[in-house]
Amino acid sequence: MTGFGAFLRKELTEIRRTWRIWVIPGMLVFFGITSPIIAALTPALVRSMATSQPGLVIQIPPPTARDAYGQFIKSLDQLVLIAIIITGASVVSGERSSGTAILALTKPLSRAAFVVTKILSQTMLLVVATTLGTAVCLAVTAVVFDGAGGARLVTAVAYWLLYAVLLIVVMTLLSAAFQSRGAAAGAGLGFYFLTLLLSAWGPAARHSFLGLVLATQRALVFESQPSGWPIATAVVAIVLGAVLAVKIFERREL
Amino acid sequence: MTGVRSDETAAIELRGLSKRFGETLALDRVDLVVPPGAVFGFLGRNGAGKTTALRILSGLARPTAGTAHVLGHDVERATDAVRARIGFLPDVPGFYPWMTAREYLEFAGRLFGLDSATLDARATALLEMAGLAAVTTRVGGFSRGMKQRLGIAQALINAPSLLMLDEPTSALDPIGRREVLEMVASLRGRTTVFFSTHILADVERVCDAVAILERGRVVVSAGIGELTARASANRLVVEVEDDAGAVALSDALARGVWLRSIEANGRTLRLAVSDLPTAQREIPVAIGAAGVALRRFEIEETSLEDVFVELVGGSTQ
Repeated sequence: MTGFGAFLRKELTEIRRTWRIWVIPGMLVFFGITSPIIAALTPALVRSMATSQPGLVIQIPPPTARDAYGQFIKSLDQLVLIAIIITGASVVSGERSSGTAILALTKPLSRAAFVVTKILSQTMLLVVATTLGTAVCLAVTAVVFDGAGGARLVTAVAYWLLYAVLLIVVMTLLSAAFQSRGAAAGAGLGFYFLTLLLSAWGPAARHSFLGLVLATQRALVFESQPSGWPIATAVVAIVLGAVLAVKIFERREL
Repeated sequence: MTGVRSDETAAIELRGLSKRFGETLALDRVDLVVPPGAVFGFLGRNGAGKTTALRILSGLARPTAGTAHVLGHDVERATDAVRARIGFLPDVPGFYPWMTAREYLEFAGRLFGLDSATLDARATALLEMAGLAAVTTRVGGFSRGMKQRLGIAQALINAPSLLMLDEPTSALDPIGRREVLEMVASLRGRTTVFFSTHILADVERVCDAVAILERGRVVVSAGIGELTARASANRLVVEVEDDAGAVALSDALARGVWLRSIEANGRTLRLAVSDLPTAQREIPVAIGAAGVALRRFEIEETSLEDVFVELVGGSTQ
């Protein structure tokens, strides 16, 4: 993978110097701050709505740290994953359409290094941002609530992170395969909704990476861990997806 | 052997190279040899297939048929070691807008594995050459001409054995164009320069040799001098003392089997001939027979433009 180091350095500098540093990390920190606050305020908000309707009585248990973590995970599962899809759609096709890939790839930079670097830099950004967002969520929850059950949040986030890395690989593959970023984003959203749908099917959830979707939500509630299948198949899918993305990009004319 | 040719004399060698996009044949069995050390012009109208050929030579596209070799290596199997000896500038270079010109040169140099000291020295020299040494703004704010000059600088960062430039002067103002052409000319003998253009004056100014591409085919490939001499050998100018004499002489010459075309402009006749020695013998006889007073009779000096127009027909597609 010739040129890997030089291109990774470029990618990391690009993240630091452009909008990319703000989007995913900004979202995660924002949700880290707001999730505990929303969890704390939700009962009061619901009660205020109920008082405007005579005869309606709503019993809401007092909010806990688990509600804050649940709110945080819900935001990761929806908005952050969609942001990953949208930003990832242009990760290869954007360089192709702007002509920057042509200048780089006519130098001693292999196409494999180009694709793998894209995956790695996005993953590094996501890991740092997720760690930061989770730490902020734990800290704010500790202030707003008693902060108990933090270990369960970390487990849930770890499952989510594995699924998010798989999504990064899928988006890199789609961005290498499609000429237009719109098509890649559309296909990525299709993949996201399909996995959500299929994860409701028991056998699929037990024996494939689809189980990570449920594992993320269940980790906050149950002590028991899912079987190794979802984790193992996710790792295999990440590796296979990366290899396929490289092969597709190597065959493309620029 | 992995695609290495035993004959490594040619910097570029295309054999029967074809490229098809659906129904369109962009390159049609192109044969071309570019000798090492030459400044070689790849001339053709827009859409003739120049960029397609350069994309294949730089490994960005694959041929439909035929072979392309650079520095003795098949481009489809060229290793990084081969790519490290090539500099390339596409027709519209794309840069990362958040970088400065120096940062881009450093990025390019690191891809070539240059050490810090060499990279720093080359980047400084090339920025100076490109007139960008004092520019600190990011590339996103550059004009097209500035980007083109940075594109040439990045193509030279590895001190290449072969420099391939696609329309390098098309976005430049007259001064920038002159500077680029002087830079290209200064590389003669040290680096093979292969550049595509549709600007005849650029080719005449700096090239040793030229290939003319028309509708995906090389219609001629030769040294500039040889090409214009070959064309001159078939053109004659006859100037007589009055218009009536020119008309009479034109009628007389029209019977010559060696005459390909005749163009009358007042007292001057321009003739394209197929057999120069016969024409040189018979025209004075015809002048004498017509009783016309002769003012001038000579072989016409031909420019590359005349050759180009003659070969590609002068029509627009």
